[in-house]
Amino acid sequence: MSFKGPKDDRQQCTLMLSDGGRFTGDLIGAPLRASGQMVFTTGMVGYSEAMTDPSYFGQILVFTYPLIGNYGIPSLPRALELPIPHGFESDRVNAAAVILAIDSPEAFHWNSFQSLHTWLAQQGVPGIVGLDTRHLVHLIRQSPNLLGRVIPGESSGTRDYGPKLTAVASEGFFDPSQHDIVDAVSVKERRLLGKGKVRIGLVDCGVKWNIIRQLLERGCEVELLPWDTDLASVDCSAWLLSNGPGDPLRTGNLCNQVAQLIEGDRPILGICLGHQILALAAGAKTLRMQYGHRSHNQPVYQVNTRRGCITSQNHGYVVDEHSLPEAWEPWFRNANDQTIEGIRHKIKPFRSVQFHPEAAGGPRDTGWILDQFVNEVMT
Amino acid sequence: MPIRSELKTLGRAPKVLLLGSGGLSIGQAGEFDYSGTQAVKALLEEGCEVILVNPNIATVQTNPEKNVKVYLYPVEADWVEKVIAAEHPDAIVAGFGGQTALNCLIELHDRNILAKYNVLNLGTSVATLKMTEDRDLFAHKMREIGMPVPSSKAVTTLVAAEKAAADIGYPVIVRAAYALGGLGSGFASNAKELASLVVPALANSPQVLIEKSLKGWKEVEYEVMRDGEGNIITICNMENFDPLGIHTGDSIVVCPSQTLSDDEYQILRNAAQQIVEACAIVGECNVQYALDPFSHQFFVIEINARLSRSSALASKASGYPIAYVAAKVVLGHDLLELINPVTGVTYAYFEPALDYVTIKVPRWDLVKFRGASRLLGSTMKSVGEIMAIGRSFPEAIQKAIRMVTEHGEGLSAFSQTSESELAAALANPTDTRFYAVLNALRHSWDIEKIHALTAIDKWFLANLREITTLEQRVSEAAGRTTHHGDDQAYLNAVFGELDAPMWRRLKSAGFGDEQIAALALKASTENSEKLTQKLSEKRVQIGSRVVRELRKQKGVVPLIKKIDTTAGEYPSPSNYLYMSYVGMFSDQLPDDGKKPIVVLGSGAYRIGTSVEFDWCAVSCSRELQKAGWRSVIINCNPETVSTDYNSSDRLYFEEMTLERILDICEAEQPTGVIACMGGQLPNKLALPLAAAGVRLLGHSPETIDKAENRSLFSAILDKLGIDQPRWVAATSQADVEKFISEVGFPVLIRPSYVLSGAAMRVAFDSESLAQSLALAVDISTDYPVVISEFLLGAREIELDGVAKDGEILTAVVSEHIENAGVHSGDATMVVPAQRLYVETVRRVRAAARLIARGLNLNGPFNIQFLARQNHIKVIECNARAARSFPFVSKVVGLNLADAATASIIGNKPALLRFPEDDLPHVGVKAPMFSFTRLAGADPVLGVEMASTGEVGCIGRSFDEALLLSLEAAKCRRPKKGVLVSAGPESEKLKFLECASFFTKMQLPLYATAGTADYLEKHGFAVERLAWPAEGAEGGPVDVIRVIKEGLVDLVINVPKALHHQELSYGAQIRQAAVQFGCSLLTNMEATIAFAQALGRYPDFASSHEVIALPPYRS
Repeated sequence: MSFKGPKDDRQQCTLMLSDGGRFTGDLIGAPLRASGQMVFTTGMVGYSEAMTDPSYFGQILVFTYPLIGNYGIPSLPRALELPIPHGFESDRVNAAAVILAIDSPEAFHWNSFQSLHTWLAQQGVPGIVGLDTRHLVHLIRQSPNLLGRVIPGESSGTRDYGPKLTAVASEGFFDPSQHDIVDAVSVKERRLLGKGKVRIGLVDCGVKWNIIRQLLERGCEVELLPWDTDLASVDCSAWLLSNGPGDPLRTGNLCNQVAQLIEGDRPILGICLGHQILALAAGAKTLRMQYGHRSHNQPVYQVNTRRGCITSQNHGYVVDEHSLPEAWEPWFRNANDQTIEGIRHKIKPFRSVQFHPEAAGGPRDTGWILDQFVNEVMT
Repeated sequence: MPIRSELKTLGRAPKVLLLGSGGLSIGQAGEFDYSGTQAVKALLEEGCEVILVNPNIATVQTNPEKNVKVYLYPVEADWVEKVIAAEHPDAIVAGFGGQTALNCLIELHDRNILAKYNVLNLGTSVATLKMTEDRDLFAHKMREIGMPVPSSKAVTTLVAAEKAAADIGYPVIVRAAYALGGLGSGFASNAKELASLVVPALANSPQVLIEKSLKGWKEVEYEVMRDGEGNIITICNMENFDPLGIHTGDSIVVCPSQTLSDDEYQILRNAAQQIVEACAIVGECNVQYALDPFSHQFFVIEINARLSRSSALASKASGYPIAYVAAKVVLGHDLLELINPVTGVTYAYFEPALDYVTIKVPRWDLVKFRGASRLLGSTMKSVGEIMAIGRSFPEAIQKAIRMVTEHGEGLSAFSQTSESELAAALANPTDTRFYAVLNALRHSWDIEKIHALTAIDKWFLANLREITTLEQRVSEAAGRTTHHGDDQAYLNAVFGELDAPMWRRLKSAGFGDEQIAALALKASTENSEKLTQKLSEKRVQIGSRVVRELRKQKGVVPLIKKIDTTAGEYPSPSNYLYMSYVGMFSDQLPDDGKKPIVVLGSGAYRIGTSVEFDWCAVSCSRELQKAGWRSVIINCNPETVSTDYNSSDRLYFEEMTLERILDICEAEQPTGVIACMGGQLPNKLALPLAAAGVRLLGHSPETIDKAENRSLFSAILDKLGIDQPRWVAATSQADVEKFISEVGFPVLIRPSYVLSGAAMRVAFDSESLAQSLALAVDISTDYPVVISEFLLGAREIELDGVAKDGEILTAVVSEHIENAGVHSGDATMVVPAQRLYVETVRRVRAAARLIARGLNLNGPFNIQFLARQNHIKVIECNARAARSFPFVSKVVGLNLADAATASIIGNKPALLRFPEDDLPHVGVKAPMFSFTRLAGADPVLGVEMASTGEVGCIGRSFDEALLLSLEAAKCRRPKKGVLVSAGPESEKLKFLECASFFTKMQLPLYATAGTADYLEKHGFAVERLAWPAEGAEGGPVDVIRVIKEGLVDLVINVPKALHHQELSYGAQIRQAAVQFGCSLLTNMEATIAFAQALGRYPDFASSHEVIALPPYRS
């Protein structure tokens, strides 16, 4: 006998891992093949923010919280428009694929426009439901560069990774750290957003929309700059180096350009990948971490104080403390593993943080860092 | 060492006074044993000496351990001052004993007692506490920091309340200040309803808040911790399944929130942080919100700057040891330097990431309180709760319902409501509304319609629909299979072909094996006229074995998952476990090389099972650990110490069902299971477990059966020549009539396997007999009704002990103050016995020895006796630890649970043969009632248990111990006047003695007509009162008015007969007494003892010198 009802049939979908692991669940979203680096997040809310976060480009995102999609998906604009709507960190799903235990086929939240399933299908992104996400976290922790492939039972093609990468990503395992993926998520043309007293040059390595929102809310105007912009040609009061995906060493000439910026005096704030780039530009080194920080509950504290903040994080590289040049000092540390979570120049107005002061999703304890930055620019 | 400089510089171990919460009552229950016990542990770790004031003798925290001095005294400023004067503590900690402790702290501060003795208040300041407690000040503070609060007005008179309500606009919510569990709160839609709430609320509280009603909004809570450095973390948030309007203690609560977006989650999290920062909270704080279900708008409802029921739940739900960390924080540590003991590698400064969902479901016992309204609102009514952990919502909620109902068929067992009653059942929240929601789904009502009636979020409803859909499919599929008369063959035919994915789907949705078997068997019964046999519990249990086997053949077994606070991000040695079918792999558990023994806990607290059984289970677990075993606890009650991460070597926070215990035994392969420590629930599972091949440690299955099976037990007593009240197991009306013709009335009627007197009744005549039989389950051979002779005027004696292979190793005799007829759980008990003849005690002990041999008792046990003169009769024998174990253990200084455990595992416990001899003190245990919360319930003692907790105190004499324990149970020395209404002639006669005591104390006596006549006839001056509503101008005053106007503060009302009446005058008097805060006694023996003690100790409060509970004798 069977208890299946008429609408219960979902296609099977398999996750193949580079260590030989193989798990089968049900497909949601688009029936397309995808591949990428296996990562996870332990955040219990904020799935639409995470999926659209450009830092997850090329990564297969495992949600450890087992119930995903409960409050549905708000209406997504086709492109970046003002005012920027909440719930999204870019205009598309950037994660290569998503893995969850249980999805919510229906959504009832007042702000929901569609279900996770229909959204993923519309976005051309495959997902697998019904896998043991807790077990996958154990596997990811055991092999830090675990790669995965998502293979639907009957796929109609490959997920789109943009013009330069789709071909590479569709063959076998795709390791985003071996490619210049910032290019795939950075804006293609310079664009001025908002109107304000001061202009921030925002170097887009895959910027989260909430960084832009936060700057606009604080009365700045933002010039969004492609990652390979000639920064010397930009007229702005301060720089913000954004978050983004991949190995900071694969950001090409950007480090050299930032090295030029720190010769000057205009304030600089780096966030996540931007923090690593600033550190590299200052002459420090970055390392691949044994265990990345991928959650909304990362405790950091300001060096030489007893004051902590709970932060949202998603990174697999870290600034090597011992390589920090004399003119710089650690600003924040992680309370658990004592790794560097922020640096600042001892004299000049340059600083950066490994975590996300703009949050979305996750706790908003460190919004004051953006306040401080904007205040400094304005005075 | 503590970091606070005031304590650091003492140059010796700081003495810290810790306040407990007193006896368990509705709104303030076992959660404070959890928080207090963790606080004790943290304080000891920091090298402090702990002085604990708490009269709750059944708790784990009141174990007189090394460096812990226990004072079993009421948590009230006068008594605490005496303890302070005797002990000179350096500091006081009040955040771990609920509202009782906070109120006491505030009073100690206001009366300058803390300043006088130079006692430092650790934790949140008194000024802040007062601000958070005073709703006006709180609202003002919130507005000051830009936090939205619903418009409200604090009032002190009814007139002001009416004006405020008119200004704010009905409906309004009425809240009493300084109240635990929302006492005296409620919704009012008009002036009349307003008055009915405000008048009694103002009788108990100086101030009442009239507030805008936000019915239907989402209710969300955040648990926050702030340290002295200003570091703040959010442990977790929780969302109520039931929208605002039902007290959170009566709501199904889901952790973490399921229907909140990141924006909503973070907005409320930020607000919570701003609030605790602005209030400068140090330690734990709970923040409650109302959230608009259609926008980001929210209101702050209240905050609790202390450990609470919610924080206990949050602690168990998240795995974060909130109370332990909070205790370290109040000693001055900051969160950045404290290690998270659950991971051992990360710090206390972080926010737990959950990778499962937990659901708390309250346990109500409203059926036990005759007359109590079953409507839920803003006054809490539940007596306990459970928490279920799953990886899908249906899995967790189905577990939860099995846990709370203790019914193997889970929520499928409650599908009777007819469709016509549904709309009303949905619109008016009661303790059974949840089942009405399921029934509506079974009747294919759409989610919109149910939502419109209940305002329950549609996401929850959709998840419940998944359950009813699967239920229906199982029934339909089963209905297509023909039942040929053999259940096993039938179930094989139905489920034999079911593939693994479908099994997984059913099990991931939380279906139990018994539930699946029952659904199929019911479907067959409905479809076949040949099968008229009733679906018995036994048949379902046997059927479930077939289901279990078929499922296991397909490889579908539950997985063991860890709760590690980091969702697997860090490796964790956590021993906090649950089981789920959502997933593919079990977590790796470290092998400690020890042999496991499983200890079954108590399940939900309810009337009859409370913290005392948790004390037994915790004692047992610790004793096992000491002896080198791996102690494995199974329990599902978040209010317990046994479910703390450090009470066992492995904790399965799991359902106490046959299926799940077998799953755990298959995984753990234990040497055996101890089922005799957790009370009635594990005891009930013992025989089915043994039948399924599990080895029981302690009493053998034969012993348990002989003790529980009335016929077997009775036959053994006959054989041993021990007398017992005459009885019959009636399976027909004819049996009943025959028995009555032999013994006459009154008789006691009860079903088999009785739990705290459920459905127990006394019948005094054929009319009440017919009523009682109608209330009992239908008489049949499956469910015989036991009817026994009911002895009036007999004393009740209990014997608690430990036996080994049929020989009693030790036993303690205790005596009830009330005559037989009061449930043993509601009786006032004394150790050592005060009024028994030496010969009676000798006969009790001799009978106990024979019974121990006759049953071959092998573990903890309790025997209850009746005695008239020296003639004794045995009522029952419990082959398990009993409710009285912690009380007698602490009074005699011998831990009976430890001794029983040592004996069970083959060690020789250090024992005393007659431990109650040669004690320097007397111990009295008194019941604690919660009638103030149960509108409509008749607060009278009878054969059905009604107390929600107990207190126990020691004194140098019986009188001292009695006065203390009664005061701790809120029965205080009268100061204004005494109202007496003694029904039967015999009771009036007994009262004469008391009357002279009260007269000597110059207390005016008030009495109703009959009693007044009697007293006057015997020469007492008495104010004659009229029956309720019969007072006349110029004539006698209405009895209720005397209570309302506060002319009396002690009400003695003894009902005419022990059976329940409809709302009689007596019941109205008793209800009024409770409602208006009078001490109430409904039993004449207890009244006499109380009056005598009052008379002999006229200045007790000032003359008594406090004594600490001596440590256990070794």
